[in-house]
Amino acid sequence: MLRDNARRFLSETATFERWRRHLDSGAGLDRALWREVAELGWSGAAVPETFGGLGLGPMELCVLAEELGRVLAPLPFIGTASIAVDILSRSPTPEGNALLERIATGDAVIAVAGLDADQPASKLVLRDGRVDGSLGAVAWLEQADYAIVYAGEPDTPSLLLVDLAGAGVERRTLRLIDPLLPHGSLTLTQAATTVLARGAQARELHARARNLGAVLTAFEQIGAADTACALAVAYVKERHAFGRPVGAYQAVKHKLADMAVKTELARSNCYFGAWALVDGPDELDLAAAAARVSAIDALDYAAQECLHLHGGIGYTWEANCHFYYTRARVLASSLGNAALWGERLLHAATAQR
Amino acid sequence: MDFNDTPQEAAFRAEVRDWLSSHANAYRQPLPADITEADFIARARSWQKVKAEAGYAAIRWPRSEGGLDGTPIEEVIFAEEEARYHVPVGPFVTIGTHLAVPTFRVHATTEQVARFTRPTLYGDLLWCQLFSEPAAGSDLAGLRTRAVRDGDDWVINGQKVWTSWAHVADWGILIARTDPGVAKHKGLSYFVVDMKTPGIEVRRIRQISGESEFNEVFLTDVRIPDANRIGAVGEGWKIAMTTLMNERFSVGGESQDEPQAADLAALLQRAGPAGLPYRLRAAQLLAQEQGLKYFRCRQITALSRGDTPGAIAAMGKLVQSNVMQEMSRIALDVTGTAALACAGDDPAISKFQHGYFWSAALRIAGGTDEILRNQIAERVLGLPGDIRVDKDLPFSQLK
Repeated sequence: MLRDNARRFLSETATFERWRRHLDSGAGLDRALWREVAELGWSGAAVPETFGGLGLGPMELCVLAEELGRVLAPLPFIGTASIAVDILSRSPTPEGNALLERIATGDAVIAVAGLDADQPASKLVLRDGRVDGSLGAVAWLEQADYAIVYAGEPDTPSLLLVDLAGAGVERRTLRLIDPLLPHGSLTLTQAATTVLARGAQARELHARARNLGAVLTAFEQIGAADTACALAVAYVKERHAFGRPVGAYQAVKHKLADMAVKTELARSNCYFGAWALVDGPDELDLAAAAARVSAIDALDYAAQECLHLHGGIGYTWEANCHFYYTRARVLASSLGNAALWGERLLHAATAQR
Repeated sequence: MDFNDTPQEAAFRAEVRDWLSSHANAYRQPLPADITEADFIARARSWQKVKAEAGYAAIRWPRSEGGLDGTPIEEVIFAEEEARYHVPVGPFVTIGTHLAVPTFRVHATTEQVARFTRPTLYGDLLWCQLFSEPAAGSDLAGLRTRAVRDGDDWVINGQKVWTSWAHVADWGILIARTDPGVAKHKGLSYFVVDMKTPGIEVRRIRQISGESEFNEVFLTDVRIPDANRIGAVGEGWKIAMTTLMNERFSVGGESQDEPQAADLAALLQRAGPAGLPYRLRAAQLLAQEQGLKYFRCRQITALSRGDTPGAIAAMGKLVQSNVMQEMSRIALDVTGTAALACAGDDPAISKFQHGYFWSAALRIAGGTDEILRNQIAERVLGLPGDIRVDKDLPFSQLK
């Protein structure tokens, strides 16, 4: 139901033509689309009903992440509507509650930073209720109203909510390889902050948020890998060489078979990850890491070979291949790269024996 | 889908555990070095019998035919629980239970099904699969073994190869050419043959591992009664496809003797700094193995809803054999020369030595990587088929 509705809406709304127009407009976030998405209830999908959301669970977020990934939607869905909502609803504060209401209506965007590392960013220090330090590439930073950051000392980490309109906040635009996903760097100087969680609770929420982010991003990745594969399949059926469609040659067919296999394996891990988010807390570390590692591999391969199979035209701006090629790289690095998640996977696999 | 047991599945699992704890211990296997092949097979037959008596040998089949009226998920639960005991479950049993009998149940007469089902289920009949030939591997329909009608019999002449366990099998499933005058896929028929029939000579093939599971089988004027033909004359290819579909689905199944990615993870842990360069690749292989496990859960869920396994099921063996080969290579590499001694008494290393050899065979057997990729590309993604210049020519006119 949700999937069908999402797919129908996005197939009409979220098109490559729209992304091109959006890029030409120079706006960082397609506010109109984000508002439409909010009206459908997606920005507040996981927000509890008392704060105006739909109160849905991780399964539904996974469905939406996959569908948004399928059309490469440049929206702050995972950070704002999923991770931030998860953290804010598990660590209630008046500011956080007010923010949940604004997320549900699509009025607030939250940048989430520092989820990749196991330890809080050493350069970000909380002292006497003020935070100092800086962070590198943070997604949706300039478009965000608040940031959630992981800060403090290794033994007492904190999850902090920072009002980005407040004093002592400096933001700088970064030019990213995927122009559809704006990133910025953040410098905080004695910035005011709300402590969402400290110590063990912060660590627990951080680990949960990281795993949630990994599974959702993996869903986004398989959605994108699926469409990259479909795009390549359509092209090789149409394009002829030596008197046959190029898709009739084994060298080409086998690449596409591998693409389908990698995506299917990642999809299976994603489903297990979605299940673990709801029902399998003991297996979540393993499930999230497996989903992450295989989804990075699937989209990397699909995006790379989709371009390659298009031949020279695939390298041009006019073809749509570049949208996948750059998105694949950004998603592979956000939340920590394959090597980092690979370590977590090996660790979880040996810990379970 | 749900990865937890439903209350009904949990009850079945408890029942199975209970049953295994009182029956399986007596069948735990000694190390391969301490047991002869004949002894191993005798043990496997009797373990099969014990399972059959309890209905666990064919969980999905009706009770009237020796099953439990169970679900595919219950079959998986049993296999998972059985794998906790190192009991003898060999391919020489599963060729019969997973390939031959399921094919008969679709294509054979009621009498034939009745004749072979029970003895196969009880381990009294071991089967081999007489399909591949020296010049007919991936292009299986090019096979040359001839079957010529003579009264109530068929007279078979030809040669099969890569026939696993033919040296211990009681019966074989066989495809042979009954009409060379029509296109190659159309002139084949499907038979069952008693391996003790005069004219059958089995020669063992020594493999790269030093073991001999495969054989060459020479058939010289072998007489098969027409009653042992399965399905109509000329329908052999279609029936063989049922067997191969089941084979690809079951070859992808789990085995307790094959190395797992978690074994490799543990090995890398033990290796310390020497293991570092392999860690990311090992994690990717581990993720593939996990993905395959949950892919199978999804397939089984689909099966339990009554769907038939789609062409994407081909991916099971493709991934499994490639993952096993690369994992084994990494495991032997990281262990260095210590892993090269064949009489290693480290069970983890022995598993990877076995995997190093066996994966090379598995990438060929039951459909090569290339054939499986073609299947996925053509049947799942809808890409054009390969050029097959001989497809419509009568077999007798092929070069």
